[in-house]
Amino acid sequence: MKTLNEVLENGNGGLHYGSRVLLPFAAEILKIVIGHEIITDFSKKQHGASVRIAADYTEIYFCDYKNLEEELASYEVIKVVIVEQGKDIFDFKNHVSLELDPEEKHRLKIAKIGDDLIFFE
Amino acid sequence: MKKILFIIMLLNMLIMSNIIIAQDSASSHAKKETVEVIEHEQEEHALPEPIMVLPFVILLMMIATGPIFYHHFWEKNYPKIAVLLGTITVFYYWFVLHDTHSLLHTAAEYFSFIALLASLFFASGGIMIKVDKKATPLLNVAILFFGAVIANLIGTTGASMLLIRPFLKINQDRAKPYLIVFFIFIVSNIGGALTPIGDPPLFLGFLRGVDFFWFISNMWHIWLPTVILILAIFYVVDSRNKSEDPEREYTGKFEFKGGKNLIYLLIILLAVFVDPNVMSWVPNLAPSPIGLREIIQFSVVLLSYKTASREILKYNEFDVEPIREVAFLFVGIFATMIPALQLIAHEANVLGDKLTPGLFFWSTGLLSGVLDNAPTYLNFLSAALGKFGLNINDLGEVKDFQNLHSIYLQSISVAAVFFGAMTYIGNGPNFMVKSIVERAGIRMPSFFTYVVKYSLPILIPVFIIVWLVFYL
Repeated sequence: MKTLNEVLENGNGGLHYGSRVLLPFAAEILKIVIGHEIITDFSKKQHGASVRIAADYTEIYFCDYKNLEEELASYEVIKVVIVEQGKDIFDFKNHVSLELDPEEKHRLKIAKIGDDLIFFE
Repeated sequence: MKKILFIIMLLNMLIMSNIIIAQDSASSHAKKETVEVIEHEQEEHALPEPIMVLPFVILLMMIATGPIFYHHFWEKNYPKIAVLLGTITVFYYWFVLHDTHSLLHTAAEYFSFIALLASLFFASGGIMIKVDKKATPLLNVAILFFGAVIANLIGTTGASMLLIRPFLKINQDRAKPYLIVFFIFIVSNIGGALTPIGDPPLFLGFLRGVDFFWFISNMWHIWLPTVILILAIFYVVDSRNKSEDPEREYTGKFEFKGGKNLIYLLIILLAVFVDPNVMSWVPNLAPSPIGLREIIQFSVVLLSYKTASREILKYNEFDVEPIREVAFLFVGIFATMIPALQLIAHEANVLGDKLTPGLFFWSTGLLSGVLDNAPTYLNFLSAALGKFGLNINDLGEVKDFQNLHSIYLQSISVAAVFFGAMTYIGNGPNFMVKSIVERAGIRMPSFFTYVVKYSLPILIPVFIIVWLVFYL
């Protein structure tokens, strides 16, 4: 299983297929911002997003999208706040803000949200 | 698919305008034969059936309710709905009333409107301002006041796009929804009351014949105390916000990128005056619905997008969707509005003395809050002109109205701009700001919370004072 740091340092991306995103590490998702929708409730499977955490990857399904690559604008990214599995979720220092950029051929670029994007946890 | 629909819509507008031009010119040849025929024809299609206001009402209601109650359906289908409803009115005027003049006039007005908004949108989207400074209530007041002033030069849309990110950035440790709500009040709405570039309703007034500088010379004395009053309320509220991150250090750095877009903004501003009615050397391209001004502004759209830095566009999370939405919705609004404008003017003429400046202030204002303020403005302007038997489609009569009955024009203009801040749907930039802020992860108040918690307790008392002082 890859850690988040390994993924970020090696530039490993994730995957996206239609409305589904796969992150190559196991993590708890705390918040997602997609378009102008802020999703913090992952208990419903009809609207917003649902999350499944496997042993070495994490899946997010976006219920209101059919094809993320087509439906997101050119300069638009998905923003997520995550905590890697195994780390203390109650310690804010473990909360990491990431930007996910669906690219061609199902590749998902993963990067830490830098100063260039304004994002509030 | 969206791009194709958009191109089809623009082509449709152009082709229809050209067919109408041909018909208009052919029919005017025929009309030259006898004055009686002209008079007869004008009289014949003077007023549409009241039922033809229905597409306009349906469209405005859907614009108001769609993004809130059925936003997925609305986001997917609004272009088709707007074009379809607009087409109903166009066909009615074309084939039933045989009134091609109104259609041609409206097409020209639409292109002027969208050329200005699109060029301001693209030019300001290519500018990046970064500020790494600790926010204080006084600094926030200064930014909001600066936004109110520049809104008159680059439009409330441009000023909002330019300033919302730096405003969020400096307030990152103390970000609360009230900061954004006051930003919407001042920068996205009330600030832009001094020039036709400031807010779309005033630009529509300018296109109908109101002088460019009439607004600043007749409205600054209402604008300034209103802005100061709301900023004073903001200062009190903001002073209570003690949230801060003690560990954060600020460099005080200020970064500005995209300087060439300031030149584009200047070109857009100057292009507003490139009008055969303002400068005699400007070629009159009539009956083409697109004049030299629009050609310049559309060129700026292309230039600013093609030459924009990817870094800046990414920082601004630039998306053409907001302006695409305006382009489609206003095709529908401009077309469906034609019968409403004519009928309202007629009714106002009948009601006469009962229509006071105060009544215009509240009726224009309250409707501007719940509908889009641009079409509302034109409807009430038409009513005010109608009260004096004047026609909104006649440049000379609009100028007479501006000079002889300025209190009416003032009350309608002030109300349309100011009350646009009452809800998210009152003015175009409101939703854009909400959307940018939500993309940054801040949850904004719902439609009703915005009204109940902010607009009613803050704006309405201020507007009552404006009414008591200026229009009672």
